[in-house]
Amino acid sequence: MKRYDLIVAGAGPAGLSAAAEAAKCGMRVAVFDENAKPGGQLFKQIHKFFGSKAHKAKIRGFNIGSELLAEAERLGVEVFLNAPVLGLYDGREILVRIGDETRHYKGDSIIVATGASENMLAFPGWTLPGVMGAGAAQTMMNINRVRPGSRVLMLGSGNVGLVVGFQLLQAGCEVVAVADAAPRVGGYGVHAAKLARCGVPFYLSHTIVRAEGSDCVTGVTIGEVDSGWSVIPGTEKHFDADTICIAVGLSSATGLLKTAGCEMEDKGPFGRLPVCDEYGQTSITGIYACGDVSGIEEASSAMIEGRISGAAAANYLGFLPDAALKARAGELEQALEALREGMFAPKNRGKIPDKTDEGFDVSMSLLTRGYLDDAEVAGYPGVRSAAGTHPVIECTQNIPCNPCQDACPKGCITVGENIVALPQIDAGAECIGCGLCVASCSGQAIFLVNEDIGGGLASVTIPYEFLPAPKPGDTGVCLGRDGKPVCPGEVLEFKSPPAFDKTGLLTVAVPQAFCGRARFWKREA
Amino acid sequence: MRIENHPILGEPEDAREVFFTFDGKQIKGREGEPIAAALRANGVLTHRYTKKLGLPRGVFCAIGRCTDCVMVVNGRPNVRTCVTPLAEGTAVETQYGAAARRGEAGK
Ligand SMILES: Cc1cc2nc3c(=O)[nH]c(=O)nc-3n(C[C@H](O)[C@H](O)[C@H](O)COP(=O)(O)OP(=O)(O)OC[C@H]3O[C@@H](n4cnc5c(N)ncnc54)[C@H](O)[C@@H]3O)c2cc1C
Ligand code: SF4
Ligand code: SF4
Ligand code: FES
Repeated sequence: MKRYDLIVAGAGPAGLSAAAEAAKCGMRVAVFDENAKPGGQLFKQIHKFFGSKAHKAKIRGFNIGSELLAEAERLGVEVFLNAPVLGLYDGREILVRIGDETRHYKGDSIIVATGASENMLAFPGWTLPGVMGAGAAQTMMNINRVRPGSRVLMLGSGNVGLVVGFQLLQAGCEVVAVADAAPRVGGYGVHAAKLARCGVPFYLSHTIVRAEGSDCVTGVTIGEVDSGWSVIPGTEKHFDADTICIAVGLSSATGLLKTAGCEMEDKGPFGRLPVCDEYGQTSITGIYACGDVSGIEEASSAMIEGRISGAAAANYLGFLPDAALKARAGELEQALEALREGMFAPKNRGKIPDKTDEGFDVSMSLLTRGYLDDAEVAGYPGVRSAAGTHPVIECTQNIPCNPCQDACPKGCITVGENIVALPQIDAGAECIGCGLCVASCSGQAIFLVNEDIGGGLASVTIPYEFLPAPKPGDTGVCLGRDGKPVCPGEVLEFKSPPAFDKTGLLTVAVPQAFCGRARFWKREA
Repeated sequence: MRIENHPILGEPEDAREVFFTFDGKQIKGREGEPIAAALRANGVLTHRYTKKLGLPRGVFCAIGRCTDCVMVVNGRPNVRTCVTPLAEGTAVETQYGAAARRGEAGK
């Protein structure tokens, strides 16, 4: 039987990070993944990530995945693909299916990083072709490069639903609505606002009544729910649609940990999760769990948890001295803690504050309709009127993110030490209109405005990630935060230099009165 | 249904065009892509009909977990088409019931 110092089950961000960290300490490491491609969820993520530099913020997920894979390979990690781990047994032995055979491997330490699977929801018609997981839609469009459908209803307004919804638009699909049974948008406001200004309506407190069609989905009816989650008669709304995406949460894929006999505990809404110490070690010495399998979070936190577990496994087998583990884990935990703060942190789940940490009102419009109300925007610290070109930052919730601050060469934007703080504009600093902040903002929440470019016009610069690329002189209509037309807009400039990493900056001229409302642009049909 | 150009991902990697059959009809796909992707690109959404009620099923998870997408591939039933790569000449058939083609046992 082949033996390794460390065996990792799952080649997602957690597993690859754990493998790289352990290999760096000199361990012989093998990673097994059931997929044909490594990277787990990461390779489907085509948006720029949140966090700070330490978390690889503003880099797109799939690029983070490529870097991670290259690192693991450079360090000599052996990655086995199409290799599902079927069992994990006493004595840290695993059973893997490779081709038509099953093979046994022995690991002196084991890290389980099997991630999560999508939750499903049953409703009349849910088994029709055309109903699919949001992750499935993402795989189809971003990996297989095939549109999942043409008209899509997204059920679920958490980050997965919002992110996949926007990616559907980028793939050229129409998103007819985002519906969620909860009364509030579950994901980041900046993700919701991106969709809303493209004209996607949000239906909170709504669920699917039925999927329509006999051979495949041809439509969907949603309805408003009362406090007991029953549909209120008379509130049904029908949409023509050929696809229904379900994004109602993920569940940790703990199967292997259970077969190994690791102790599990009931974590309420988070499900049954393995009991782990601060390094991710389960109740069985030498077996670790990290990433989504030990509790659903994000790729950014999964990568840090992976590194902590990798270092701990190295320490357990004598590849890393105690003091070195302590130092490394300390630095990693600090990065992890920074991500676990803010309005959407796991510890704040289910609570809706009415004020931000700074004491600003939390926008209820953003939480119930997916966009900031025009009247409330000016109240946030990222929004100031000024002469000349200046940034307008519509980022109003405490989320762990700060690339905007790092981007500005002029020091116009401050988030501060605590990365969940709201970005503020420094009135003393002078904006040179370089646009780096717009392109770096993971939430596409920064606009540049010049309130007076002469002739009764103003200019608004919008982050734009759609094809075809607009050209100067193109005419169209500007949409408001709510996705409704507000005024005509003529393209002045479109630039997308390599440093902006595919976030184009679209500058349109609008009548002065609308520069505070025009937030998206649509070519004239 | 194919995304020829994408604002973030650009153009798809070059892949050889191959011919395969769906229920006997010859259609085109890209070598190495999952069979399910090739079918969807050709507008085929229904992969199989369930055994008892004959209800249609299609791609649901796209990562090989749910088995909703299984079809008869090169004569072998219950093949998960979302994780099985397409090759020149692959014969893909709608699956009726647990294990068979239309009219065979298992319907
Ligand atoms: C739409 C969407 C948007 C997201 N956006 C963000 C974001 O902006 N920022 C962020 O930080 N995070 C984001 N995430 C979350 C992030 O992708 C996940 O939290 C992260 O991928 C978890 O990493 P992981 O390594 O634990 O698991 P995964 O990425 O799920 O990887 C697990 C791996 O294990 C493999 N596996 C499972 N079981 C077995 C087995 N028995 N044998 C072998 N292999 C197995 C799987 O094939 C998979 O490759 C998003 C997720 C989704 C779905
Ligand atoms: S446009 Fe340039 S100078 Fe102005 S705030 Fe943004 S990054 Fe700073
Ligand atoms: S404005 Fe700054 S903190 Fe807010 S999403 Fe954009 S980059 Fe992140
Ligand atoms: S769609 Fe779930 S296994 Fe293929």
